[in-house]
Amino acid sequence: MQRLFILSVVALMYGSAVRAELPTKPVLTLEVALQIADAAKEEALKRGSTVVIVVVDEGGYPIVLERLNDTQVASVEVGLGKARTAAIFRRPSKVFEDQVKNGRVAALALPGATALQGGIPIEYKGKVIGAIGVSGNTPQEDEDIAIAGAAAAAQAIANAR
Amino acid sequence: MRNYISVIGCLIACTAIGTAQVANKKTLTLDGAKKVVAAAVAEAKRVNAPGGAIAVVDDGGNLMLVERLDGTFAAGALISLGKARTAAIFKKPTSLFEKIIRDGRTPMVALNDFTPLQGGVPIEVDGQIVGAIGVSGASSAQQDEELAIAGANAMKTMGSMMGVEYLKGDKVMEAFKKGMPLIENGQYKIHASHRDGAGMAEVHSRDTDIIYVLEGTATVVTGGTVIDGKTIAADEIRGASIDKGETRKLAKGDVMVVPNGTPHWFKEVSSPFNYYVVKVTE
Repeated sequence: MQRLFILSVVALMYGSAVRAELPTKPVLTLEVALQIADAAKEEALKRGSTVVIVVVDEGGYPIVLERLNDTQVASVEVGLGKARTAAIFRRPSKVFEDQVKNGRVAALALPGATALQGGIPIEYKGKVIGAIGVSGNTPQEDEDIAIAGAAAAAQAIANAR
Repeated sequence: MRNYISVIGCLIACTAIGTAQVANKKTLTLDGAKKVVAAAVAEAKRVNAPGGAIAVVDDGGNLMLVERLDGTFAAGALISLGKARTAAIFKKPTSLFEKIIRDGRTPMVALNDFTPLQGGVPIEVDGQIVGAIGVSGASSAQQDEELAIAGANAMKTMGSMMGVEYLKGDKVMEAFKKGMPLIENGQYKIHASHRDGAGMAEVHSRDTDIIYVLEGTATVVTGGTVIDGKTIAADEIRGASIDKGETRKLAKGDVMVVPNGTPHWFKEVSSPFNYYVVKVTE
């Protein structure tokens, strides 16, 4: 457990709060992130897809990024954007794509959001601890690959424990 | 070779000629990029770096692979990308630009796509730059760069292993006259060693020495304890002599293997003493 999740203290500046009262949160580690990316990669290779796979932490910053051979370079930024969106908004990036399609064009103005299908949050015990974003193929296929990665999270966490 | 580097067609529009000409250029593959990152991560562990975000880009500065070690500050992932991209598209280590700017060329910071911070190093294979590695988040900018170099060297090693090495006899003879390295890479070194007198006691923690004596005699002490040992490099200690240990007389034709971490000392040497050494790096 220790190797996997560093229970890091969230430094909340409560004037009178003593150290022991600060809440802790689970944090995605490189070891788990690599296994999540591997699961997504396996799914991509099975489909013959050329994609970029990104795993970010809960703040939307990359832990692992892999661009499969011969994947268009533009997918790096798009994949990062999808992953970040799923992490910081704590929901699949498709939600925003759907909102825009359904007429809520204003969703495009959300700060830090890439309103494109293919970003999926990674959850642990009901909390979002990061996200995976995939780009390079059709929107549905990108998302399917991301889901395959996110679905491996529970097993990856168990493996690391 | 084929696993790590693939050859792609690079289109050059030569309208004057009429037909498009195509040049072949080596390109880094994801497997190759993984090898580079693995070497940098191994180095980070070896030197106990407090963290490290490592990015590998292709020759156009496009991101291929990122790994951020546990505990590394979040922004590190993006800074490492900037360093790698700069090293790739300018084909130079970023420390060079940091220095140029520090030395007074401030307007250079206005360049596009430019992160002039130490820690980005080009990845070279057979003399061609195929990409770059950038590291951020280690203990210092200097250590960032050291990890990046360790990563980039993984491909250099591969490059030299992929090609057959061949050295002409006269060059080798020439090297023995002065005592010079013949081949050095990340996995082994071959030295044409020459001694005219006694040496210092040494211990290298990573290199195992495989020695073959070609000419002369020497008294060699191995094992024991190095007296007045000083660390002269990351993996090397040197001292005045060795206390206790085992003494042997080496002569032409003898072979001796000194495992890494074992003290050894050429205590007495009859000049000229020539020996061929293969140093295998752990």
